[in-house]
Amino acid sequence: MQEIARGLQEAIKMLLSFDPEIYEIVGLSLRVSLSSVIISTCLGVPIGVLLGLYDFPGKRALIRTIYTLMSLPPVIAGLVVFLFIMRKGPLGFMGLSFTPTAMIVAQVCLVTPIITGLTYNIVKDKADRVRRLALTLGAGRRESVKLLIYELRVGILAAIVTGFGRAISEVGAVMLVGGNIVGKTRVMTTYIAQLQRMGNYDRAIAVGLVLLLIAFTINAILYNIQEKNA
Amino acid sequence: MKIKIENIKKTYGERTVLDIEELSVEEGSLLGVIGPNGAGKSTLLNIIAGIERQTEGKLYYGENRSETIPYREITMVFQSPYLLHTTAEKNIAYPLKLRGWQDAAINKRVEELTEELGLVRLRKQKAWTLSSGEMQKVALARALSFRPKLLLLDEPTANIDPATTGELERMMTKINEREGTTIIIITHNLSQAKRICQNTALLHNGKLVEEGPASVLLKQPKDPITQAFINGELLI
Repeated sequence: MQEIARGLQEAIKMLLSFDPEIYEIVGLSLRVSLSSVIISTCLGVPIGVLLGLYDFPGKRALIRTIYTLMSLPPVIAGLVVFLFIMRKGPLGFMGLSFTPTAMIVAQVCLVTPIITGLTYNIVKDKADRVRRLALTLGAGRRESVKLLIYELRVGILAAIVTGFGRAISEVGAVMLVGGNIVGKTRVMTTYIAQLQRMGNYDRAIAVGLVLLLIAFTINAILYNIQEKNA
Repeated sequence: MKIKIENIKKTYGERTVLDIEELSVEEGSLLGVIGPNGAGKSTLLNIIAGIERQTEGKLYYGENRSETIPYREITMVFQSPYLLHTTAEKNIAYPLKLRGWQDAAINKRVEELTEELGLVRLRKQKAWTLSSGEMQKVALARALSFRPKLLLLDEPTANIDPATTGELERMMTKINEREGTTIIIITHNLSQAKRICQNTALLHNGKLVEEGPASVLLKQPKDPITQAFINGELLI
């Protein structure tokens, strides 16, 4: 209990003292997580909508694969990305090893299936009912699509929030591809893991609390948007 | 709006779910469609609404026997209504916005309907917070908002308490009498069919068994299948 109380004190001190190291770590964490969520949203939402609306050969297998990837262990994603971008890997010439870009790529691999799978489920659940309703109220094709997007907005935002939760809390993949290099690829989760290994529990708890606070704030903003749109 | 059905058939693979040689619904009439589960009642309404297409046969709309589905003049209310993820009044206003009505005219129409259906205090309420009876009232108000010529109702009172059922029934008959809206309602409630329908049609295994004035068909049916159905016997 003492460690938690000291951690809380340390967290407040850390934020108020404008510790540049912490702000740099927080900034990089947000940059990596938000970038990966934006990219995953751009990929996952259209794929999820198309999967929900249209049938094609191999669709069932594809959906099962997406569901499996939704629970992909981060270290596996990290390992695969690492093998591709390492110096001797097929994409080694791009020089992405131990860079924030590599961390974003690894997180995109983890978050995209989540946003795709959740969007697919929402579309599958609602599309037919919305289509029938639109038809019986006299909506044309374009108006029906507009209505479908309008009706899916809350569910899609929830999928994005879930994806963000995965990205900001992720440690295994970013550790493997980023390497937790001070001032370069160190993010909050990898820093917490390192502090724990060093026995610096107060600071580990403090960084953990800052991470929670940031996650809470961003989720609150997204849920606020969701409520306003409801 | 007059409806004329000629040799309509709907099949799914080998299975025929609807096979009606002839059925006419006169303009301004209120027809009750009855029959056991799986008789093809919902399929019939879905085909008339243009949600499903018949495998064979012709369906004519209006006096000039048009085969084009007049989507903007038909509407349908389902047993479990789907309300848009917004307020009750925005749900009611949606078909009017689609039709390009001005805001003032939309407000006036929403006000009329919410008053008639006892929804005034629920206008600003989010759709998902409404009870099933209130949801069905909003769905009916939304369907009536643009004054459709044909109103299709698929068991609209199946999950509703008797008081709300009474309110909805009164609204249906009022709209039918006042605005001359043609109404086709699917119901399992024979008392309801007796109360509100001018004509009744019994479907069984996709076929039209008997059709006629509700007062006659429900009291003195000619067909043994209709007799058995009215007596609550299991139809095979």
